[in-house]
Amino acid sequence: MAAEKSSIKIITLIAADGSVFEVEPNIVKEMKTVQSYIDELDQNTVSIPLPNVFGNDLAMIIEYCKKHASEEETKEAKEEFDFEFVKRMKSDDKLRLLQAASYLNMESFLQFMAKAIAAEIENQSVEFVRDYFQIESDFTPEEEAELRKENEWAFK
Amino acid sequence: MSNSSDAVTMIEPTTKRVTIRECQNKDNISDLPDCIILHILSFLNAKDAVRTCILSSRWKDLWKSLLSLTLHSSHFRTIKIFNKFVSRVLSLRDSSISLHALDFYKIGLMAPHLLKRIVNYALSHNVQRLGLSVVCDIAQIPPTIFSCHTLTYLKLSVYPTRGNREETLFPNSLNLPALTVLDLQNFAFCAGDNGYAEPFLALNRLKQLAISSCTVRDARILRVSSGTLFKLTLHNHSEDFFTIELRTPSLCTFTFTGTPFQFFSKGSFSSVKHVDIDANLFSRYIEPPVFLLSWLRQLSNIKSLIVSATTLQIIALYPDLSKLKLPSLGMLKSLKVKTKPLEYGFCMKLLDVKLEKVKSQKEATKLRKAFKEGLEPSSPIPDGIMDFFIQNSPLAEVEIIDCSWQKAQSTS
Repeated sequence: MAAEKSSIKIITLIAADGSVFEVEPNIVKEMKTVQSYIDELDQNTVSIPLPNVFGNDLAMIIEYCKKHASEEETKEAKEEFDFEFVKRMKSDDKLRLLQAASYLNMESFLQFMAKAIAAEIENQSVEFVRDYFQIESDFTPEEEAELRKENEWAFK
Repeated sequence: MSNSSDAVTMIEPTTKRVTIRECQNKDNISDLPDCIILHILSFLNAKDAVRTCILSSRWKDLWKSLLSLTLHSSHFRTIKIFNKFVSRVLSLRDSSISLHALDFYKIGLMAPHLLKRIVNYALSHNVQRLGLSVVCDIAQIPPTIFSCHTLTYLKLSVYPTRGNREETLFPNSLNLPALTVLDLQNFAFCAGDNGYAEPFLALNRLKQLAISSCTVRDARILRVSSGTLFKLTLHNHSEDFFTIELRTPSLCTFTFTGTPFQFFSKGSFSSVKHVDIDANLFSRYIEPPVFLLSWLRQLSNIKSLIVSATTLQIIALYPDLSKLKLPSLGMLKSLKVKTKPLEYGFCMKLLDVKLEKVKSQKEATKLRKAFKEGLEPSSPIPDGIMDFFIQNSPLAEVEIIDCSWQKAQSTS
């Protein structure tokens, strides 16, 4: 098993829009979904379609993985990278990347995105959060008023 | 979470393409499983997490399944509102679910019954990570907290009540067999029968220990004995002098922040490989450079050293530094200096210390003027200090890391 794995030199990831990414095995180590695919094959090259992830998002995830897989980068450099990485993203990007992380089953990237999203909705109004997640409320105004009253202790 | 066979079958280009289009247009979050939404909520304080209950019917009871709770009184307008909130959360939360992590922080005097209820709730729900920062008499904390078998992480800060001026005494008997991380603030460790304060002896799995603003009572020596301790973090703001004796053969990393005001007994650092020091100053004392240098002298097996610019400023206060030899740093492989602009408060303390050493009034006036105009200190890293390190550590790779961005992060 170990020998089969190490024989794979390049992994080709194909995003939903057809864009193609060629990466080294250590880059996809954290993507458990990809990893389980690789483990079942015994070829030198693997090409894996990822129909739930768009090319732009996959490019960003790979950039993140490359930085974090690197042994040359210091902890500080990685922290600074994370800081800038989140800073340049819009809210939509974060939600899409969270979904991608969930689909790719990436534990630490999922945590990183969940934290970044939490930072955006922290201290915001219910209306803001609803808008942020694009949630359509299925409560009638009366029901919502009732709920607010019931949970008054949390809205003071 | 999805298992691996599910994950593989999901890789089907034709059938799944539709899903993307769908989720582009509507509800971004509703496609995600509850566990991932709960993951986001777990990074929020409990107030924001509970308030999601009125987003939609799916969210109504979601918060009740949170595995971790952050309850900080600073998020509430009054203590009364906070107390009520805490009480409701504990009553309404799904009590069939374990509470893995609880972070409780409250300013002002703590009502004993509420404290008791919170701690008992956490302990009866298999809490693994517990953070408790309160103002109370230690006797009011249920003692079962110190014999909890599920705790892996304990962060404890107990400020004494106003009428009671003495520091909080740390209990002498601990029975926390699973504990790997212990973080203590504002405690006084008491001497045992052998004349040492040796509070961590029974923690057989301890990997990381952090001690902030703690002192030692009835003894001059704090002994840390642990075969497993890997990382030690000290944070000191007090002027209490005591000696620290490390009997920690696995200790690899030592981190220090604050004002160096303690000695380490001989052999304390014999296994330490990585050291990170971010030192500060009390204006009235000029001892810190002496303490700092005594630490550096003992780091005989150190491979990497990280120091802040303020640490270098303090070392540079030592007279005749250029003549000093530090053979302990001879095998150092990596030296990193973290720089950011020196803070005004630090510069003023530096000025105070320098003023104590000047001989004439004229010299003092000149020094004050230079500090006032920002000419002194001329740069975050003092002149000649890098030469001093390079001479003592000829093998070290030196790197200067600009950390100004960290400041931007904390203020944003």
